[in-house]
Amino acid sequence: MAQAMVKRIVSSSACTFAGLAQKTYIRNVAASSKVAASKKERVLPTEGEITKSVFMSQSTDIYTNLALEDWLYKNMDFTNHHVMMVWRNEPCVVIGRHQNPWLEANVPLLSEKEIALARRNSGGGTVYHDRGNLNITFFAPRERYDRNYNLKLIKRALFRSFGIKSTINERQDLIVRDKYKVSGTAAKLGRLTGYHHCTLLVNANKADLSKALAKREHGIQTKATASTRSEVANLKDLDNRITVENLQTALGYEYLRTPALHLDDGGQSLIAKQRGFQFVNPTDDWFPGLAELKNDLVSWDWCFGRTPMFTVSRSFPVPIGLLAPSKVYSATQELVINMTVEKGLINDVTLSIPPGLIESGFHGEASVITHLKGKRFTSEALNALQDAMLTRHHVSDVKELDDKEQFVAKCFDQVVNTM
Amino acid sequence: MAIQRCLLQIVKTYKLRHHLQSNIRQTYCMLCLKYSTGGSSRKYTDRHEWVTIDKDIGTVGVSEYAQESLGDVVFAQLPDPGTDLKAGDECGALESVKAASEIYSPLSGTVTEKNKDVEDKPALINTSCYDKGWLFRLKIIKQSEINDLMTEEEYKKFLETDAEKPE
Repeated sequence: MAQAMVKRIVSSSACTFAGLAQKTYIRNVAASSKVAASKKERVLPTEGEITKSVFMSQSTDIYTNLALEDWLYKNMDFTNHHVMMVWRNEPCVVIGRHQNPWLEANVPLLSEKEIALARRNSGGGTVYHDRGNLNITFFAPRERYDRNYNLKLIKRALFRSFGIKSTINERQDLIVRDKYKVSGTAAKLGRLTGYHHCTLLVNANKADLSKALAKREHGIQTKATASTRSEVANLKDLDNRITVENLQTALGYEYLRTPALHLDDGGQSLIAKQRGFQFVNPTDDWFPGLAELKNDLVSWDWCFGRTPMFTVSRSFPVPIGLLAPSKVYSATQELVINMTVEKGLINDVTLSIPPGLIESGFHGEASVITHLKGKRFTSEALNALQDAMLTRHHVSDVKELDDKEQFVAKCFDQVVNTM
Repeated sequence: MAIQRCLLQIVKTYKLRHHLQSNIRQTYCMLCLKYSTGGSSRKYTDRHEWVTIDKDIGTVGVSEYAQESLGDVVFAQLPDPGTDLKAGDECGALESVKAASEIYSPLSGTVTEKNKDVEDKPALINTSCYDKGWLFRLKIIKQSEINDLMTEEEYKKFLETDAEKPE
């Protein structure tokens, strides 16, 4: 009898609590409808009203997948429907929205090995993708954006299905064995929707990864966001059974069995209430406007031209053979190249030609500079330079650059190809 | 014994209710103090941008609430002068450790100037969001749009409801 009374009181206090919460909620709705009716204040659903889906992209092209992500972010309403998208790509390097590709990746190597370079819309650092890497994007309404929830969900899935223990560090990276990074994270928040995406290294080619992202001498100074390098590991190193396919499934089920707003195990019964797994074919027929988004992402203007303004400064010691033989120089003769690059195009160039080189016959300074301005910071500039130096030869039958001009060309080559 | 337990529950419930109510009132006061900007002609959007008007030039920035929820801004991508914008258009982004957040234009017009100081030192947005941390200026073409924006008072009320929403 006493227990019944206590139960009644507890339930009545719960009701008061709920009543209070409801009052606040109603006050919210009322207040918000008063505040600028034209603003269309959203009323977010309760947890039980939200259903979830797992979208699996059938494309392995980075640009198509990024375009699909962008399309969903711009066009889909996630108020009552939270989505997790899983996707993977052929080898590529993906830089953050405000990064400098020349600084982050070995650009000439990428084009040589046919590894694509893409710039995504979210912030963060540079990552290398290949088929051994799984990408996950969590879509939710902006107010319900919760990075921690997403990462903890991945952590739970890894443990439940593979017994892999992982931790989330202060930079919100997923770490295994206390120091190896297996996942990198980035996010974008807009007016109505926010998405959080991350990578998961399952069986990626670590050698190619290091080569593509290797630290080189580049002489670049910029305000662009820099990446923080970390030692990485593949999940397959920890558990041989893991593959991208079964990880995808494990994550999907974990996402579906967890309630939308707090971490708990809803089990099979919750999974049954969700919308399940769906294959997504990213074509313009299913997603009108997708082709246009993809074209923007592929363009040079977006990938390279979007780079924040930067300066390059490199100095090259002049080989003794090129200097005037009779002179003895007190200081090391160095050719110094300074460049400002804006929107991926060379803007300002200053060339400091050491006296040794001038005295031995190099006079190309002015023409070098004017021909470089406005050219893309790639081998295109180098070709323009070589052409300029060639046309300067008034004696028309000299079709080759002399050794000093070749030296200058070689230096420029090193600058634009960040070697 | 049972009666004692009942009494305890009743007292606890009363305390809880009282505590909750006083908490809510406190939050409102705290908010007022925290986000009050000492009375100004600033107008606000529901995405936490502010704009001040001087004849037909509007100066745009983000509010204290916005800069706090962003965290440390590491990069500001601002619209270039000459860009034509409509009210509500995406016109740039602020990147912080948490995410890249879009900036939306509060009004329609053409961008006349962007704040180079903020491009060089994005932290200005965190330290002085209403003053040195202004983002860009634009020439307004539709003065009537200004009436759609919230005044300081309305924005404060809006924050109150926003703050109580489950995060």
